[in-house]
Amino acid sequence: MSYKLIEIELSQPLAPIELSAEQTGIGLVARWQGRLLAFEMIERPAGSTLTVENLKALAGERFAQLILVAKLEEELTARSPAQDMPLPSLSIAICSKDRAQRLCRLLRSLDQLRGESPFQFTEIIVVDNASVDTATREAVESFRDIRYVFEPKAGLDFARNAALHAAWGDIVAYLDDDVVVDRNWLAGLAKACRDNPGVGGFTGLVLPFRLDTQAQVFFERRGGFGRGFARREFHKARFDNPLHPVGAGILGAGCNMAFDRKLLIELGGFDEALDTGASLPGGGDLDIFYRVLRSGRPMIYEPEYAVYHEHRETMPQLRRQYWTWGLGMMAFLVKSYRTDDEMRARHRAMVRWWFFDQLKALARAARRLRGHELRFGIAELWGGIYGLAGEYDRSRARIRSIQERNS
Amino acid sequence: MRAERLEVRHVDLAAADIGSDREPALSVFWWKDLPLGARASLKDELPYGASQLRQLAAEYAAAQLQARSIGLGAPLRATYEGWPKPALSLEAALDAQNPVETLDAIAKPSCASAQDMSVVICTRDRGPALSKCLASLAAQRSPPGEIVVVDNSQDRNARDICGQFPDFRYVHEPRSGLSRARNTGVQTSRFEIVAFTDDDVEAHPGWTAEIAGVFAERDVEAFTGLVLPARLDTTAQCFFQFTMGGFGSTFVPLTFDRRFFEETRPSGAHVWKIGAGANMAFRRSVFERVGLFDERLGAGAAGCSEDSELWYRLLAAGGACVYEPRAVVFHHHRSDWAGLKRQIRAYMKGHVAALVAQYDNFGDRGNMVRIGRQLPVYFAKTFVKALFEGPPGRLAILAAEVQGWLAGLPFLLRFGWRMRRTPMGGVTVIADKETA
Repeated sequence: MSYKLIEIELSQPLAPIELSAEQTGIGLVARWQGRLLAFEMIERPAGSTLTVENLKALAGERFAQLILVAKLEEELTARSPAQDMPLPSLSIAICSKDRAQRLCRLLRSLDQLRGESPFQFTEIIVVDNASVDTATREAVESFRDIRYVFEPKAGLDFARNAALHAAWGDIVAYLDDDVVVDRNWLAGLAKACRDNPGVGGFTGLVLPFRLDTQAQVFFERRGGFGRGFARREFHKARFDNPLHPVGAGILGAGCNMAFDRKLLIELGGFDEALDTGASLPGGGDLDIFYRVLRSGRPMIYEPEYAVYHEHRETMPQLRRQYWTWGLGMMAFLVKSYRTDDEMRARHRAMVRWWFFDQLKALARAARRLRGHELRFGIAELWGGIYGLAGEYDRSRARIRSIQERNS
Repeated sequence: MRAERLEVRHVDLAAADIGSDREPALSVFWWKDLPLGARASLKDELPYGASQLRQLAAEYAAAQLQARSIGLGAPLRATYEGWPKPALSLEAALDAQNPVETLDAIAKPSCASAQDMSVVICTRDRGPALSKCLASLAAQRSPPGEIVVVDNSQDRNARDICGQFPDFRYVHEPRSGLSRARNTGVQTSRFEIVAFTDDDVEAHPGWTAEIAGVFAERDVEAFTGLVLPARLDTTAQCFFQFTMGGFGSTFVPLTFDRRFFEETRPSGAHVWKIGAGANMAFRRSVFERVGLFDERLGAGAAGCSEDSELWYRLLAAGGACVYEPRAVVFHHHRSDWAGLKRQIRAYMKGHVAALVAQYDNFGDRGNMVRIGRQLPVYFAKTFVKALFEGPPGRLAILAAEVQGWLAGLPFLLRFGWRMRRTPMGGVTVIADKETA
């Protein structure tokens, strides 16, 4: 089972989309005049063709309204007085561990944008997070003008903090090594910075890089990392969600986020006991979004600041990912519960809501006899239980020993 | 964190001046005189950033263009849920030029004359609210042909207030019940279009002009408009507006026609999604065709739903109702918690009574399905959700809903009550008696 991932430009004449015998659907990225507009997962019979008429009907139903919104947005932007504030400087930080090939892929996609960077200056930092061999260093050296930082303590948040302290830019934009940036990534971030001076950070859209395996299709159909195509502003409270900002996952994902560097240093950087790599590969992004919002500075979600993420390839890997989501979520909640007294009622309510929601999803999957969904749901729920039962403390103990070994 | 009280703030997005207020508010967004949407925000979410406002303006404006620009698919029919069903094509969206200019043209307020319109306000023992209501009607941009105040109190206590507005006609209807009062209003009034509002409402200065505009432009029989909250000063008012959905939150015009009726008929046609009695109007011919308000229903009798039951008859007879949110009124929700509970209870009781009446009139089993299955399922789901997710107070209001439902069930067994049907059609309602 695989999906054909294809991009269409709505302002150009459309062409039919043909599926091969293995492809059972289409992941359709729609642009209008180059601007990302929508993403749709469309199930189709293997080997079939989506004709121009089908495509037009689909576009009328799903995309036409978005074109109208985009046109209005552009016209309203043109009307409002332009702000000619100089943009801040930018550090792009990539943390990587033993994945030189993927890192090269990302650096190539960045290389194409870098020449036209609208920022005051733009540097790229690669933090080599205790890779076992020199492949990462060699990969970095094959590109020009990239700073290389070695972080001997294994763990994503160690690497993120190393980048934070090594960076010179006012804004630090973090990327995971399993993504590739969209051609408007830098322009999207620049636009968000220009429109929202003084905010604490930015998150962006995450689209699938490929949909070649069952696991990748499944993950994307279950929601993926997608957070939609509308710009949104997030604050430390929200009228329509009394638990906000505790469920900070709605902001985006850690593979594509940027922050005001000074603010992050003031806040003490990332929590090194979250996002530690294999044993607790999650929660670090939730925690930092939460702390930025709690500091009183808003965050902006900007869909044009987009990346393509390579999802887990196999079903066992994916099941593990869901397990780590549960684990990371609960580790984050336990940590926040201890450190942020004022919000304790919300943390408790979030734990209740989370388990209620997971059980609801499980019941739904069981009723519809969806085997995979049920297994993934159980994995996430089990991860949550395990996470609640002292994972944060176990992780703290693990990083202490890592720190001691490296001191 | 739920806000206890919100300011109702009106923001003109065309002016692009967002101000710097930081009090929790329900922001009602307008493009000049055209209402676009509403959004509640806490103190920490304000003021909105420039790009957030632009995004909102673009989304709202796109919805307006689709609903009002013929080339972009207007007019829109209502779906099963009472939401707009977009009919925009890819070509039309790509071809759309100067959308902001189009929006400016759409937003021009109506200047239609309302001389052919009677406005009927039924009131009962609500002096201070009534005088505000009447003052807002006296300040209409297009003055209506007449304003009829139907006093449903025993001791004619609205008479003095009405006397402050010498042009208004005063009628006393001693038999209590909102339906009776409304029918008296219909029979007393003289003009072709009869518009209704309630005594706890203040009308926007363009209210009558917009209604007149709709009736002049389109061959419409029945009309409903937008009901916004006037104030959100108490927990009860906020609860009614946000948890119970207020009086609807659709900001685009919709047509509720025979197809909407047929689609929702199996589960008891969802006529209550058409609008609210606080902002509705009819052509006089409607009453001749399908009869007057059912006097067994409505406040003072079974509870409420006398408005939606009339729409039911109209739609069943092949008629249509147009919802046009440009005609705006502001409703004062019940400010105390006990009052809110009474209101919710009365709503549910009246709803069940109306379902019984509709079943008796047309034999649609969907009405019984709603009483016997849909509502209990809704209660059960709401109970579970309220238990886990709140908000506080939801369970108490749910109890009021269930009480109302239980209080409504006996109507099924009151065969004498069920026999007293409203005559449908053939009624002469062109009355011209002068009443003091």
